[in-house]
Amino acid sequence: MSAARMIHLAFSAHLSGAHPGAWRHPSTEDGSDVSIAAYRRLAKIAEAGCFDMFFMADTPALRINDLEAWSRYPLFTNVLEPLTALAALSGATEFIGLGGTATTTFNEPFNVARQFASLDHVSGGRAAWNVVTTANAYAAGNFGPEPLIAHAARYDRAREFVQLVKKFWNTWEDGAFVYDRPQGRLYDPSKLHPVIHEGEHFHIRGGLNIERTPQGHPVIIQAGASDAGKDLAAETAEIVFGSAKTIEAARAYYGDLKGRMARYGRAPEELCLLGGMPVIVGESTQEAEDKYQTLQELMHPVVARQRLSMDLETDLSDLPFDEPIPESRIPAKANFHTAYFAEIVRMIREDKLTLIEIARRYQRGSTTVRGTAKQIADTMEEWFSTGAADGFMLQLPLQPEGLADVVRLVVPELQRRGLFRKEYAGRTLREHLGLRRPPHVPPVRQAQAAQ
Amino acid sequence: MSTGRRIALALLTNPNGYHAAAWLHPSTDAKASTSIEWYRDAARLAERGLFDLFFIADTPAARTSQLEAYSRLPMFMNVFEPITLLSAIAGLTTHIGLGATASTSFSEPYNIARQFASLDHLSHGRAAWNVVTSANDFAARNFGHEKLPPHGLRYERASEFVDVVQKLWDSWEDDAWIRDRARGQIFEPAKQHAIDHEGKFFKVNGALNIERTPQGQPVIIQAGASDTGRDFAARVAEVVFASDATIEKAKASYDDLKGRMAKFGREPDGLKVLAGKPNLLAHSAQEAEDMYQTLQAMIHPIVGKMRLGMDLEADLSDLDPDAPIPEDRIPKSANFHQAYFNHILDLIRQGLTLRQLWQRYERGHQTFRGTPEQFADHMEEWFTAEACDGFMMTFSLMPSGLAFFVEHVVPILQKRGLYRTAYEGRTLREHLGLKRPPNRYVAAAHPLAAAQ
Repeated sequence: MSAARMIHLAFSAHLSGAHPGAWRHPSTEDGSDVSIAAYRRLAKIAEAGCFDMFFMADTPALRINDLEAWSRYPLFTNVLEPLTALAALSGATEFIGLGGTATTTFNEPFNVARQFASLDHVSGGRAAWNVVTTANAYAAGNFGPEPLIAHAARYDRAREFVQLVKKFWNTWEDGAFVYDRPQGRLYDPSKLHPVIHEGEHFHIRGGLNIERTPQGHPVIIQAGASDAGKDLAAETAEIVFGSAKTIEAARAYYGDLKGRMARYGRAPEELCLLGGMPVIVGESTQEAEDKYQTLQELMHPVVARQRLSMDLETDLSDLPFDEPIPESRIPAKANFHTAYFAEIVRMIREDKLTLIEIARRYQRGSTTVRGTAKQIADTMEEWFSTGAADGFMLQLPLQPEGLADVVRLVVPELQRRGLFRKEYAGRTLREHLGLRRPPHVPPVRQAQAAQ
Repeated sequence: MSTGRRIALALLTNPNGYHAAAWLHPSTDAKASTSIEWYRDAARLAERGLFDLFFIADTPAARTSQLEAYSRLPMFMNVFEPITLLSAIAGLTTHIGLGATASTSFSEPYNIARQFASLDHLSHGRAAWNVVTSANDFAARNFGHEKLPPHGLRYERASEFVDVVQKLWDSWEDDAWIRDRARGQIFEPAKQHAIDHEGKFFKVNGALNIERTPQGQPVIIQAGASDTGRDFAARVAEVVFASDATIEKAKASYDDLKGRMAKFGREPDGLKVLAGKPNLLAHSAQEAEDMYQTLQAMIHPIVGKMRLGMDLEADLSDLDPDAPIPEDRIPKSANFHQAYFNHILDLIRQGLTLRQLWQRYERGHQTFRGTPEQFADHMEEWFTAEACDGFMMTFSLMPSGLAFFVEHVVPILQKRGLYRTAYEGRTLREHLGLKRPPNRYVAAAHPLAAAQ
């Protein structure tokens, strides 16, 4: 490696709901979650900061219960659909990668393969697909009559879904479309490789009706934390969003994940691990802290109480805000997130706080990094240089202000340290990330290799 | 014009052009179908011509057999996916409507409802969905089905699919999002309406995670020619693409379609019929005819047989081009496009050879060849006879055909008072003169207000 290893930066775009109090903040524009102009401004800020990727998380559903709380916290409640939004942004930006979530649970492989391939073409090689499975019952309700499939089956389906999408992406060899007018040939038939797939979940004989994309195929993102998820990521992911809360846990995850790749014939650098990092930057530590507290205060008490209910796994909606949570209301144990549960229980029992105090202090496991550009750059550098991450997926509670702060303050600090690019060197997302363009693999051979 | 009725214009956007040999013509860009710049320029040109709608047809499949023929004909083999394409175009245009085909056979209503709602938001009210049930087995096999379901079943599913989508589009009342920062309430819970749909094909209990769109609901387009299709259109369509070859047929079909609307409680004005109008224009009629014949002669024989075979729903590849099609090779009935099939049968009955057939046959109807004046006359005749409310323009060569039309035909139509001289509104509904549909829950609660 002659070129020094560089930090990669992505962020999750969520214009009014990245923090439960964000939409009430004076800097947040009303209706920005459905304003393409607001998204465009956001993407341009990130591009000015040489970010690798603009990312849109997603869930294909609206919460239709507990509206007393959800009408105060717009979490994916009123948002542009990622593929349409990213396609619209492609014309307003030139370099930044455009990543979006699409679930394997409620889509057809052909449609996902086609829309992301189309996005890759429209954007000149900047598309990335975040592969998720969906477990929400409220999402399943939108896609009946089939009931939600169980966890293991969802991952089975996801694995096969990704295989199939890659086969579709390899329908055409590079250069298949020759547009030979004298011979009257648009494409060379020998370079068309029909998709023939007989799996447990899908039986397909067909092919994609768009040529191989600028990136060969769009970049594949995953966020697997379970054992099955990590294996799937080691096999197929090119970006992984890590969710470790401490640097020690992050290092362990990094080593584990990269270690699994050899099993699938992949080198560790074929996967870029971006550690999830909630960040608030200020001119001073105090300013960053104040910004954070302002947002916590803007979180409506009903929302705060509901978030606690969710992770304490019990309904607290009848309890007063200004009294402690009675011992009798604490469930014996957690069914979902043990660590979150334990954090709340500790605050009830040891800190003797009132419900609203707990709710405002509770951070759902992850601590938002608050500090100056130097402090944040120090944290990033430590993670980056000690095998905890290849870069970061920033969660910015306030948008666009928080992103503008990072670009104005943190990015120059990283650049001074030689840890981050000063300008884009390539045009495609793969080039930004240092990922190779995958060679064409005929779908038939791909099927044999998978056996 | 005393009535103030104006011609509506849609562009059926074929990269290279509508003609099967267009991609071979020196005036076209062979690589147009995956060039976003090409589409951008075409859309802006149509917008300069004040078109109502920029439209993208679609088939969700690459054909993976008969490659000898399909490698010579750009039939959706290498194209952008329409919804992503139109989303990209939305930011590069300001007024023109953006319509795309999406099949009800291979998607989920929630996903379609959401993507078109999103497109309507990001285009500020210019989205339209052309509802199709898909018409080939290549598509079916991309989705795990051996064959398409039969026609009747496809329409049954489509009908329920559209109902679900439209219900989802009414998930929110228009003024649900109050964004009251002081009270800490971003929407009125009472103005969110989850649907609880349980039908033959779909069970949907949920609501859309995007507020009601600028147009209330994206515009619904339909093009069914069968009896089932026409009833479906009369019930739900707001734009219909018609493909009748003569003014008499078009008039009859127009009256029939509009006549069917009453039984679904709709006014005739709520639906605009756009007649398909393939054309090749030039400054003289002879020049236009020569250009047309040049293009026809450029059709590769393998392509000629295959295109004819597709619509006759029979494999003709082994047949002698210079003899008539043997009677025993002609199917009894059509499974897909009844109108195209019938047209070919008419030509066969005239005793033409196979080669003559493919050089004479055109999907839908004959390409209009002539001068701008002649074409404007033709359009005016159809429009004033109420054989249509406007036209779906298909140009043999793109973008030259569109550019010629915008430069030479549009001014004539404007001079005659038949066509707008500037966009008066911003949304597609405003261009077309379609009213913004009231939210069904508000309408149910305030029936009188909704009726106004």
